[in-house]
Amino acid sequence: MRALIHSEWTKFRTVRGWVIGMAVAGFVILGFGLLPSFQGSCGGRGPQSDCVLPVGPEGQAVTDGFMFVHQPLTGDFSLTVRVASITGVLPPGPGQDEMREGVAPWTKAGLLIKDGTTQGSAYAAVMLTGGHGVRMQHNFVHDTAGMAGSVNSPRWLRLTRTQQKITGEESADGTAWTTVGTVTLAGLPSTAQVGLFVASPQYAEVDDESSFGSFSSYGGFTIATALFDNLSRAEGWQGKRIGGPDNMDDELGSFEETGDGSVRVTGSGDIAPAVGGPAGIGTGLTDTLVGTFAGLIFIVVIAAMFVTAEYRRGLIRTTLAASPGRGKVLAAKATVMAAVSFVVGTVAAAIVVTLGQEVLRGNGVYVHPASFATELRIIAGTGLLLAVAAALSVGLGALLRRGTTAVAAVIVTVVLPYLLAIAVLPPAAGDWLLRVAPAAAFALQQSLIEYPQVLNLYIPQAGYFPLPPWAGLAVLAGWAAAVLGLAAHLLRRRDA
Amino acid sequence: MIAAVHAEWTKLRTSPGMAWLLLAAVAATVAVSWAAVAATTCRNAGGCGVDPAKLSLTGVQLGQAVVAIVAVMVIGGEYGTGMHRITLAAVPRRGFVLAAKAAVVTAVTAPAAALGVAGSLLAARPSLRPNGLPSLSIDDDQVMRAAAGSVLYLALIALLALGIATAVRNSAAATGFVLGLLYLFPILAQSVSDEKWQRNLLKIGPMTAGLAIQATRDLAGLPIAPWKGLGVLALWSLGALLLGGAILSRRDA
Amino acid sequence: MNDTIISVDGLRKRFRRTVALDGMTFTVRPGQVTGFVGPNGAGKTTTMRVILGLDAPDAGTALVGGRPYRSLHHPLCHVGSLLDAGALQPGRTARNHLLWLAHSQGLPARRVDRVLEDAGLTSVARRRAGGFSLGMRQRLGIAAAMLGDPPAIMLDEPFNGMDPEGIIWMRGFLKALASQGRAVLVSSHLMGELQDTADHVVVVGRGRVIADASVARLLAATANGRVVLRTESAAAAVVLTDAGGTVTATGPGVLTVAGLTAETVVALMNSNALPFSEISAHRATLEEAYLELTREAVEFKAVSQ
Repeated sequence: MRALIHSEWTKFRTVRGWVIGMAVAGFVILGFGLLPSFQGSCGGRGPQSDCVLPVGPEGQAVTDGFMFVHQPLTGDFSLTVRVASITGVLPPGPGQDEMREGVAPWTKAGLLIKDGTTQGSAYAAVMLTGGHGVRMQHNFVHDTAGMAGSVNSPRWLRLTRTQQKITGEESADGTAWTTVGTVTLAGLPSTAQVGLFVASPQYAEVDDESSFGSFSSYGGFTIATALFDNLSRAEGWQGKRIGGPDNMDDELGSFEETGDGSVRVTGSGDIAPAVGGPAGIGTGLTDTLVGTFAGLIFIVVIAAMFVTAEYRRGLIRTTLAASPGRGKVLAAKATVMAAVSFVVGTVAAAIVVTLGQEVLRGNGVYVHPASFATELRIIAGTGLLLAVAAALSVGLGALLRRGTTAVAAVIVTVVLPYLLAIAVLPPAAGDWLLRVAPAAAFALQQSLIEYPQVLNLYIPQAGYFPLPPWAGLAVLAGWAAAVLGLAAHLLRRRDA
Repeated sequence: MIAAVHAEWTKLRTSPGMAWLLLAAVAATVAVSWAAVAATTCRNAGGCGVDPAKLSLTGVQLGQAVVAIVAVMVIGGEYGTGMHRITLAAVPRRGFVLAAKAAVVTAVTAPAAALGVAGSLLAARPSLRPNGLPSLSIDDDQVMRAAAGSVLYLALIALLALGIATAVRNSAAATGFVLGLLYLFPILAQSVSDEKWQRNLLKIGPMTAGLAIQATRDLAGLPIAPWKGLGVLALWSLGALLLGGAILSRRDA
Repeated sequence: MNDTIISVDGLRKRFRRTVALDGMTFTVRPGQVTGFVGPNGAGKTTTMRVILGLDAPDAGTALVGGRPYRSLHHPLCHVGSLLDAGALQPGRTARNHLLWLAHSQGLPARRVDRVLEDAGLTSVARRRAGGFSLGMRQRLGIAAAMLGDPPAIMLDEPFNGMDPEGIIWMRGFLKALASQGRAVLVSSHLMGELQDTADHVVVVGRGRVIADASVARLLAATANGRVVLRTESAAAAVVLTDAGGTVTATGPGVLTVAGLTAETVVALMNSNALPFSEISAHRATLEEAYLELTREAVEFKAVSQ
């Protein structure tokens, strides 16, 4: 087998056109990634307009802007309140221009303890949401579900601090209490800001589930007003819009004490991880790798020709005479093409991912930072994706034996479904296609993280794939294995 | 010139698999169109803004790949075997050879495209209404324009592929080049966040511009007007044929 | 009537660093078979491609019937050619291959059936050409060349891959064509193949003509054969050289003598009382004449590689 791979490698590297083609594949990935084509607005409106997102205690970029009615409390405490009702307004629907009555699914109103009022500081909160019942959340990314509930039925909430431990409880009547969750906020100082909060996030919705052609979405900011009563601590409240100017009192953030421990709080914004896409801002690392498709086409053409060129001039007979193990010949070809493609893809992706982000940021585009592990997965994933696609292409080349049909077959199976999914089919059908088609492997390049507690359009157009990265690769690998298996079978049965 | 066309016609007619490929182009077009309509449902009374003509002609997206293969094989098959030398010895005026090939490629792809387009509309029609989509009337001028335009679109794609294959002189590479040219523009455009750039990409891409001919709704919102878009594709095809012709004339066979 | 059908004048062509044609000049006359002979890489195929307008020369002209090939209206009616018998689309039948060629010249289908019959391919006319043996492909190529009933035929290495029966058929066929008054240009890298076929020979090497003469003159011009002498005597070489012969030791106790007749050698050996065990005389062949002429070209190649 080693000798076979060696001979196939020699065959590959001695055809100048193929080597150049592979280099070109790498360069187009680089080119599309590094050419400054995107323009963003960050930094474009003066030195203070840089898009800088606050970073949470666990390192993610976060959204931390909401209405906080708070006071400093030192030591252990317990604070109880009843959320009497939540009302609000939503952005206009398609074709309308007036805000609508309504509460966004992830509108939040409840009790919050936070390590100061600077954005990104640690926190824990128990809350009633617009559409997801009672939740206990902390430090932006963690979310625990309580009971289901409605914005129209009052709900009691209690937040208790015991040193670093924060416990959230809920109750329907104020007497029988259920614990939603207990979390530990390590490093929380003895004096923390505690109080009521209201957040109402960006809202986004696909224009219509079955809209065809170019997909469109609509959305915008939302505002919510929560009526709190039976607040267990009546004195000393002050309001602040986190992430906003001090003491600003407007429609996006205000509060009013109506006596008897009743407070009306109006707020907008969110306290959650930041996401890209229609409901978020900026873009992910994935966008730097758009050239992968162009590179992929070069690679699959070369991989298909690597096999079909032998059929064209009868070289295959020489090859099979030199190594009669036909399945092994195919395996060696696939291995060589996959290895070369992996190297090309990985090197190109490594450069693009490191330098491409800088280019985008330089152009004023907000690029969501990704963890080192994610960057590594994207880089190696691009290589793997190209490697497996090259193997698939070798298989189709051996199966079809004609360069033209083999190349067309690879492109039609790998590239076309992706195109249909992102640009032609309705999102539901596109979603399905990206679960079963070889293009599922592009999930390896996903850099943005899907958070169930943030409303967003998690669709391929915005850089979110329906399958997790490795499952996506498995789909492509399954296709490649099936095609190579069939090709090996036919190669053994057919006359050369 | 007539003799050259006659020869190319005989060559194409006796080329094995060509009939199957054309049949495949028709089948692929109709099947994908039907599937797209079947997979699209709308629950709103307004029809969800679906363009029934465009939806019913989705199969052109796949059909064009098969049509491109047909065109590439008309010239690529000769380069692959060295038979192009016999052809050029028989018809030394090389411009004639390419013109004759263009004529016969158009002559076979246009009827196949017409069948595919007509079949798509017929296959899609019964499913439109049950799926809550606007119905399609054949005597609507816009629908006729979309249908006739799609036939022209496929014929122009064939000429584009013929020109590129003549220039590239290798079937597999030419196929990759053509399909890359067609499919990459919309993918690139989709990932460009800058709207101006996005529209520019859609305007100059041979497939994205050419397929504007299928739109029958929201014409004002299109990146490029239907006939103008088809004109962009025609320029691509003409450019490819001229390039192919120049290379064929200049280079040793 | 113009006496030359194909004329090549001062053709020059280089591919990157290789000089393929270096002032190639010759003519092909009707009514005879002209052998176009030279070692591999001498420029034979390139010359034929230039004649057919497939390759453009850097300098010089190639005319068919006094006109450049590319200006001919139905060129296959002026000159028929076979360059590469394998240049076929394998899926097409033999008849259909000829049919499209006929249509390109405005010829009717019955002309196709006629040449198929002449080439002995009628029984396989409707079989895919991809399944043909090399010999059958050569016959199909000949049929294609004859399609336009041209006054000139140009064949590149037609003997390659043919069985002995096929070679005999081919020789008879070429002679018959010449006797019909056609001009026939046949290239080969083996002069022996043309021994009894060609009337005229153009010998080429390194892209230019080395000799352009009738076969009879070429044979006469070559040294009058040689004598192989088996002797143990060391003095023999001296004696024969003094008498004007060119002596080479070609083996242990074997001398090859050129420039002296066998009779002279025997007389010299006897008069000097030198013993010898065997003597044989060889008449010059076209092959030898060719080898002698092309030695320089081949040697140059061996050194340069």
